[in-house]
Amino acid sequence: MGVTPLQARSKQPQEQPDHSGPIEQARYACALGAMQSAAAIRRVIPITHCGPGCATKQYRSLTFTNGHQGGAYAAPSTNASQREVIFGGADRLAELIESTLGVLDADLFVVVTGCIPDLVGDDVGSVVRDFQKRDVPIVYAETGGFRGNNFNGHEVVTQAIIDQFVGEASRVREPRLVNLWSLLPYQNTFWRGDLTEIKRLLEGIGLRVNTLFGPSSSGIAEWESIPQAQFNLVLSPWLGLATARHLEQRYGQPFLHVPAIPIGSKQTGEFLRQVGAFAELPAAGVEAFIAAEEETYYDYIQGFADFYAQSRQALPSRFAVVGDAAYVLAITKFLVRQLGLIPARQIITDDPPAEYREAIRAEFRAIDHDVSADVSFTEDGYLVQELLRETDFGNKRPLLLATGWERGTANQLKGFLVEIGSPATSEVVLSRANVGYRGALTLIERIYSTVLLG
Amino acid sequence: MTINLRTAVVENREQRLGTIIGWDGKATELAEHSGYSASDCRSSCGSGKNGKLCELQGPFTQGAGCAEQIVEYQASHVRDAVLIYHSPVGCSAGQAGTNVSYRACTVRRGQIPTDAIGISTNLGERDMVYGGVEKLREAIHMAWERHRPNAVFIATSCATGIIGDDVESVTRDCEEEFGIPIVPVFCEGFKSKHWSSGFDAIQHAILRQIVRRNPPRKQEDLINVFVLSGTDIYTPMLANLGLRVNLVVNVATVENLAQLSEAAASTSFCYSLASYFGAALEQEFGVPEIKSPPPYGFAGTDAWLRAIAKVTNREEQAERFIASEHARVLPKLRQRLTGVKGYVAMGEGFAHGVIAALRELGVTLDGSLMYHHDPVYDNPDKQRDTLGHLIDTYGDIEHLSVANGQPYQLFNLLKRVNPDFIVIRHGGLSPLASRLGVAALPLEGDSNLPVGYQGLIDLGEEILSVLAQRKFHEDLAAHTTLPYKKSWLEQRDPFALAREAI
Repeated sequence: MGVTPLQARSKQPQEQPDHSGPIEQARYACALGAMQSAAAIRRVIPITHCGPGCATKQYRSLTFTNGHQGGAYAAPSTNASQREVIFGGADRLAELIESTLGVLDADLFVVVTGCIPDLVGDDVGSVVRDFQKRDVPIVYAETGGFRGNNFNGHEVVTQAIIDQFVGEASRVREPRLVNLWSLLPYQNTFWRGDLTEIKRLLEGIGLRVNTLFGPSSSGIAEWESIPQAQFNLVLSPWLGLATARHLEQRYGQPFLHVPAIPIGSKQTGEFLRQVGAFAELPAAGVEAFIAAEEETYYDYIQGFADFYAQSRQALPSRFAVVGDAAYVLAITKFLVRQLGLIPARQIITDDPPAEYREAIRAEFRAIDHDVSADVSFTEDGYLVQELLRETDFGNKRPLLLATGWERGTANQLKGFLVEIGSPATSEVVLSRANVGYRGALTLIERIYSTVLLG
Repeated sequence: MTINLRTAVVENREQRLGTIIGWDGKATELAEHSGYSASDCRSSCGSGKNGKLCELQGPFTQGAGCAEQIVEYQASHVRDAVLIYHSPVGCSAGQAGTNVSYRACTVRRGQIPTDAIGISTNLGERDMVYGGVEKLREAIHMAWERHRPNAVFIATSCATGIIGDDVESVTRDCEEEFGIPIVPVFCEGFKSKHWSSGFDAIQHAILRQIVRRNPPRKQEDLINVFVLSGTDIYTPMLANLGLRVNLVVNVATVENLAQLSEAAASTSFCYSLASYFGAALEQEFGVPEIKSPPPYGFAGTDAWLRAIAKVTNREEQAERFIASEHARVLPKLRQRLTGVKGYVAMGEGFAHGVIAALRELGVTLDGSLMYHHDPVYDNPDKQRDTLGHLIDTYGDIEHLSVANGQPYQLFNLLKRVNPDFIVIRHGGLSPLASRLGVAALPLEGDSNLPVGYQGLIDLGEEILSVLAQRKFHEDLAAHTTLPYKKSWLEQRDPFALAREAI
């Protein structure tokens, strides 16, 4: 028998996706933060044309107070001053790029701009094209902070690399090669570990994967082979869809969109079957991999059951998830479908474009065949805290999968806080993953170790 | 060096003090070329005995800091105030980090941790065209409705500076409406080459709109101490002189700021940070600034305490305290650090103090990186010439470099002096030092650790533990690939690119 949790229909935050109001407790960077999307590619270095504090702010917020992931800071910057504001900064940018070539060693440089050049109208394209003509591996993307957040910036940077660097490379399709567009590097605290696990799963059913970002990617060679992939896999509720459509148009490449990143065996099995069918892989191979993985997975879950079944009373049963759409959806599905917890509040804070929101809501309405959940969209931390305080968590201590900003509210609600997104200020994250088979086990460990600590 | 509180915007450091961010040479040369020892030399550059201070400027630069970051770190740490970032959302990207530091500081000061409150006006493309002042008004109303603060600070940004938002028209309206100080802080990053201008911007704003003019009472036992987010070591120390301490700006209340004009004197542990505040309080509010070297090591701390005692007529108590501290601390400092070689990389005023403490501990130090250099401070009293004090008391520094925290220079800087450890402030450089195999002691959390007599003991202990951590750094260095060209890593002169450019 299924349970459809009853929820008080409390105040929903006003949704005005076209007019974003002031934001308390920022949870993301600006478009320039996409400098880290470039830095997430092996041997690629962003060159930042912006004011003096812009690059360090985005860098530190994404790499430090977000799981203390680290990232070996080296980004050159024009540190634009009064002179560049008044007289323009194109010459200064050219000078910086020229000197960068003598100091830094990279396979590709990605010039990203901040508010200053975008407002004063520097012709960055013309500066960069001069270097491209000299066969310097370099592209540019306009990422002034007023243009949006680092999610928007990410798609701009990605498409800049595709259009200006990958270009018209060979389009001969390689069957079983897939381009993966999923979590936003650095913004998602666990992106390195997660992408590695997703790659392992896809390889397990017989695909070859261009992970493109992070340690499980070989870097620029993968980017150059993007046009040869059989298809693009967009594994996220909305991020990456624009890029996939762009690739569809540019290279006639089909794409598969799977909104929920799989966590746990039910989700992962379904995901692998769906991808396998789309890629026309022989079902037997897919099933064999799933069976082997499930054997290991359930071996561990058997052990967990000793604890989970005996400690029922002390454990939370209602939970809230606050974060980027990708993780809020993925974690909610896992906790509902695999652990049997009750969704009490789901809040998405990454400001998905208006056109994707109805589809995201629909995902939550059908979180399982017998459970439906509501979802709120707000980027403002004050409203997040207000929503959490208004939530009916029943008579047990709530479980909050949220961010460092929810520490105070968690204390007030006597909740168990597991930080799963930016800013994750009390986590140190190296290779940990939360997705797939192995990540699910880690996530269970994390949640219940937190609960037992009290 | 004129201080003018009538204008909303403070003159930046390069205009007031002749601040530079690129230089390389001996400490004695730098002192000779700077304002305390040679007059009228700051505006032009050249060679010659009488000292022209020449700034090295190269074509290659990496991301630095901006004035707005400093304002964020100070204004959002005022306990009963709200900071509004009048900017696109990226300017507040550091908010979570600022909050971590705020919460840690409240704990250090014995308070229950709460969050530092900041609101971004979140300006978008449309606002760049039509102006952002209405969003600013919305944010100020939001701050009032949500938090009932005792003051609201508005940090401006490069974007609002370029589009020319009339911030003051909004803040004046709102001040009238809510009856609390609504304080614009003009700190557009592009307007100064060095982030320390942010200290001046926030201090200027506080002096204009929060500090009480013509206070009805004076508090003759109150000393203003300008701090960052360190432990309160000053209250127990100055209690020995029968003095109370007004710690500002970090984790102060708006009332702490208002009563700055009532104190008997002002001082700090870092004159880069405190230059503007101290001079302006003296000039505009009659609160004298303590004229002495900063309180590091025996020499500095003795002189600092005596200068405070003189201004507050507590000389006897001071001498008793100094004698008892010497008796307590001296025996604990055996020469365990003799022969160990250190390097200091941090903001200038702080660096001068830490170098003094290291040299008293017996550490060999023949190189230091300072993130900027102020040829003079706002109060040009010779007693506050911290570089001069350092050289006179402890001797020259062979390789004194001024550079704005540029990672690419760190290899060559460290290779030149080959230290056993580095004391360092500000993110970015210490991980790199450790990738190079040099044990790094970051003074990020508790900036007051090396201050005063006890600071000698605590700093010494930290160095010993950091030397032990060398195993980690050396292992890391053996497995590190850096993104720099071999030719650059082999370059012996950290300023080669700048010298080529001259």
